[in-house]
Amino acid sequence: MPIVEKSLVSVDRVEHLEVEGIDVSGDWNTFLRSRVVTDLDVKIADWVKGQPQGETISRCWQCGTCTAGCCLHTDYGLEEFNPRYFIYLAQIGYEEELRRYASTIWRCVSCNKCVERCPKGVKVEEVIHTIGTYLELSGGAAESPADRFDRAYTENLLGRGILDEAALFRTYERLEGRRTPARELLRLGLTLLKSGRLHTGPFAHRTRGWNRMRKVLEAKLTEDRARRRASVPAPPVPSGRKP
Amino acid sequence: MNAAPARGPVDAVPAYYPGCSLDGLGKAYEVTCQQVLDRLDLSLDRIVDYNCCGATEVKNLSQDVSIALPARNLALARSMDRHQVVAACNGCVYSLARANDAVHEEATRTRINATLQAGGSPAYDGSASVQHVLEFIYQRAGLERVRAAVRRPLTGLTVAPYYGCLYTRPKRYTGVGTTPGTDDPEHPHFLDELLRACGAKVVEEYSAKTICCGGGHALSDLDVSVAFGASILNEAKRAGADLVATICPLGQINIENHLDRIRAEFGEEIVRPVAYFTQLMSLAFGSSLKQARLGDNFSRPDLFLRARGFV
Repeated sequence: MPIVEKSLVSVDRVEHLEVEGIDVSGDWNTFLRSRVVTDLDVKIADWVKGQPQGETISRCWQCGTCTAGCCLHTDYGLEEFNPRYFIYLAQIGYEEELRRYASTIWRCVSCNKCVERCPKGVKVEEVIHTIGTYLELSGGAAESPADRFDRAYTENLLGRGILDEAALFRTYERLEGRRTPARELLRLGLTLLKSGRLHTGPFAHRTRGWNRMRKVLEAKLTEDRARRRASVPAPPVPSGRKP
Repeated sequence: MNAAPARGPVDAVPAYYPGCSLDGLGKAYEVTCQQVLDRLDLSLDRIVDYNCCGATEVKNLSQDVSIALPARNLALARSMDRHQVVAACNGCVYSLARANDAVHEEATRTRINATLQAGGSPAYDGSASVQHVLEFIYQRAGLERVRAAVRRPLTGLTVAPYYGCLYTRPKRYTGVGTTPGTDDPEHPHFLDELLRACGAKVVEEYSAKTICCGGGHALSDLDVSVAFGASILNEAKRAGADLVATICPLGQINIENHLDRIRAEFGEEIVRPVAYFTQLMSLAFGSSLKQARLGDNFSRPDLFLRARGFV
């Protein structure tokens, strides 16, 4: 965990910066002395760490390798998409600031460059999604298009065991209030039909004997969601800025 | 002949996990995979009654469901007495391999197996390895046998090899780069070499090789997905490629699905036909354009290839 009091480190003060009797200036001839930082709110980090997808969050040493390679940050140029910073904010429990990114975090496309490259073995992509889940479940963050898609996808596949691609497309368009023109749909449908690829509705593929598994997995899904929701700490009372 | 893979016990005929796409929109990929395997004297044994692997979506809702879904397929492969599972979709490779990683932990394995058995599936002990069909072909057939199978070299075609994300990433799950005989996780080259063995000119240093196509956000985040599709095509254009070869149905469909918007926003000149690598290999092995189902693709590589003298 890095030193949090960055705002204290200004050029004119750096030589004599002492906090709780310890030099934290990193002056040229001293090592930065480690100390216990006591003013952190660890409830978000603890919650994230308690989820199987988020348990590696505490390994993060803030090197920024994830952000440097992040395809949203670097290739797409979405500068505010900064996985290192999201993890940092979760670690120090700066919830107000983190909430500003609730509408950005969901845009992670799961390319997994960050997970591939992280020198500490943080499963960054899964940790980021878990932070997003925290923001959604603890209230305040609106459900994102990606959340709606994840849910539509999961419900669709659990139905028959095998995804009905065309039905997923229709369901998701309805959820987002989008409408592909009928003529275009017809053209697409005919192309797929002619090449024997229109397996939808009654003609959809299905996994034999799936019903039993469907019930078990649907129950699991409901149970997991309830457990996660119940375990989320109460949202913070808005306050002044933290250090 | 390449060395045997060191992922675990090797099957003469591994299990084949099709996944939803290869039975749906990506049918051309499955059909031409089969053609290529036949011509190289390789076989795979299809997992009957497989289920969807959960891709990258389910894990955001429930860890256990996201492990149980792929684990059921791996358990089916084990009950066919296979130790190797081959999949052709990057997303499937990722989630199957991710399930393997998760069940190595005993507590998770016990929990997942309770779920599987309650649902009527055999239990899974984590003993099946997962491999992409590109790696399977490269390792088992080797470049010599590919060269020997070529009847109509892809001479005169310049191809941009697009690998996408989850064929190699993350190595912690896929084992690519950490397992002997596997591809380079940051600069993969198996596809380059196979296409070259088929007589194509392959773009060196194709900079969009492993960028993202937008993945599961193709519908939920159109702007990002369109921009990535355009990058993949634009980098191919800049490198002088005639077409783009893919190894993943999601990559293939994401690029093709956005072609209208890519045309409108970035211009017709960057648009290139996009084809599964097995369609191109099948063509090189002597299939007709129709047999290689190149007319299935929305970007119509069949029209382009016909104009280039392939029939």
